[in-house]
Amino acid sequence: MADRSHIVKSYEQELGQLRSMMSQMGGIVENQVALALSAIADRNEEAADAAARQDPDVDELEREVESLAIRLLALRSPMASDLREIVAALKITGDLERIGDYASSIARRSLRIRGADGQISLSGLRSMGRLVQDNLRRSIDAITQQDSNRAMEVWHADRAVDEYYTALFRELVTYMMEDPRNIRACTELLFIAKNLERIGDHATNIAERVFYAVTGDNLPAVRPRGAPATADTSEQPDR
Amino acid sequence: MRAESLAAVSHEGLPFWAGLVLVGAAVAGWGCAFLAFRRPALPLPVVTEHSALPPAVPTSETALPIEIFPGSVLLLDRLGAVLQANEEALTQFGDSVGAILRHPAARSALSAALRVASDSADDLPSMCSTTFTLDVPVPRTLHLSLRRIPAQHDRHTRVLVMLSDRSEAQVLDRMRIDFVAHASHELRTPLASLSGFIDALRTGGSSMNEGTRQQFLDIMAQQSARLKRLIDRLLYLSRVQAHEHQRPRDLVEVADLMAIVLGEVAPRFDEPGCSLNLAIEDDLTIRADEDEMVQVLLNLIENALRYGREEGRPFAVTLFARRAPERDDRWPEEGGVLLGVEDNGRGMEAHHLPRLTERFYRVVDKVEPAKQGTGLGLSIVRHILDRHGGRLRVASAPGRGTTCLVWLPPVGALPAENS
Repeated sequence: MADRSHIVKSYEQELGQLRSMMSQMGGIVENQVALALSAIADRNEEAADAAARQDPDVDELEREVESLAIRLLALRSPMASDLREIVAALKITGDLERIGDYASSIARRSLRIRGADGQISLSGLRSMGRLVQDNLRRSIDAITQQDSNRAMEVWHADRAVDEYYTALFRELVTYMMEDPRNIRACTELLFIAKNLERIGDHATNIAERVFYAVTGDNLPAVRPRGAPATADTSEQPDR
Repeated sequence: MRAESLAAVSHEGLPFWAGLVLVGAAVAGWGCAFLAFRRPALPLPVVTEHSALPPAVPTSETALPIEIFPGSVLLLDRLGAVLQANEEALTQFGDSVGAILRHPAARSALSAALRVASDSADDLPSMCSTTFTLDVPVPRTLHLSLRRIPAQHDRHTRVLVMLSDRSEAQVLDRMRIDFVAHASHELRTPLASLSGFIDALRTGGSSMNEGTRQQFLDIMAQQSARLKRLIDRLLYLSRVQAHEHQRPRDLVEVADLMAIVLGEVAPRFDEPGCSLNLAIEDDLTIRADEDEMVQVLLNLIENALRYGREEGRPFAVTLFARRAPERDDRWPEEGGVLLGVEDNGRGMEAHHLPRLTERFYRVVDKVEPAKQGTGLGLSIVRHILDRHGGRLRVASAPGRGTTCLVWLPPVGALPAENS
């Protein structure tokens, strides 16, 4: 601690610190999503608790990233790709924080779908979850490696998530029509599916921001969308 | 950005060369500003000599010869960024290194590794390790061991990480849980329908007419038969698995085997439009458990009848046995015997093929639930063939029929005892 270099940190180091914090935040959020999904699939109540418990850490990291980014902007006047990276980091933390929120919301809801065991197939939700997890992983890889190609991949892959959501929506509505006793659990599952879909959207947002940070170009405003809503899916709750 | 907008303005009001000059000036101006401010030339005498070292490119004095380690090894800086990774680590974990290192468990192990103090200058800092599971891209359990490499300067501290895959135990556990879940689900379905009809018969009692009553009883008989078949199959599967590691020693004539199979299935081909052909080479001998091999062929024929047959189309099943071609990469050894069942039925899409031998996996598309099998047939086939050192290959395309090929190793592979 007697070393002077601890007092005057170099720009490069601060940038490294920022990247490290982003990747740490990404790791926690990924873990939250994994725990939330295991809470549903394996009926793992501990995982549900653990997912919710990590929320404060994510919030704390978000604040730290923000203040470091603002500090870098104010004191170092970054240019070109550095500037874009830092501004993107500011926004990406917002996305990551939302993903964390959705994950803990999924975890909390997972505790309320008991009682429907065995009657409702969770395999669709499980596959959708895996897909979303994979997209999230790739978008966080894109952040840490500043890789625009990966970002593009994620951007295109979100379509499949949307399609899964539409299919799940139909399936759950069918369960509810079959037996009104399923309605309670199915409503929770619908929200869970919606939350997963939102996580997918945020992963896509992250990919867009990384693409901008790396290339300086924006991806088209209209993203490839899932299947257009047909008559029986048009009344899906949109939040 | 500004250079572009200037150029746009200049095109409207000024001659072309003026635009060029303006653009040039703007670019030059930005270039100067960029050079001057990108790396602020603050007077930092202590820092500059060290910070000249970008994190991703280790200089020759900092690089460790990590290629020599027999395992996956990474070298991290104290912020967790990868400085070096050996070939093994890249081939084993390439795509998921990022996801592994940012997992909260890995991060806390890293900070623990950085915190532990070494007792004296000679002692190495103690090792920190952690185990956790990642879901994507493939579910795997990972074990990380980390050790700090002390450096004179705190900022140059590095951490050596050994990565290993501990998925196997996890996978076995998972399979067992899945099996119990699936099996109980499969058993519950016929049971639920049985108890439903029992309730209906009890409460309906005398008011029920004879026709309905008979219909209910028929369904119940069907369901209880299904339940029995399922339990028989499960028991058979577990028996097969129990002696999976004892290779069979008996020599079996393929012609005898086929005679038994034929005796069992012939009645099912009595219907018109349904035929069974035989194509069996002479003098074929295999080393096998006769009952089990009969079971293999019965299961394959059963599947052809159950899933291949389409109403109103002539259906033909060919049962064949021949010597395996001399050179064929599909099988692990030269020689051996091929047994097979080929049909001209409806076939299936390619995406089903890899999953066919999974327990309770069924191609559900076009078969009505009442005709569905237990989903254990091919699973049993695979386990039997595992025991025989054989292989199963299924080739199929929609509308083009299905061919199941069973390869059995040449007889000489085991010392003959009872020939």
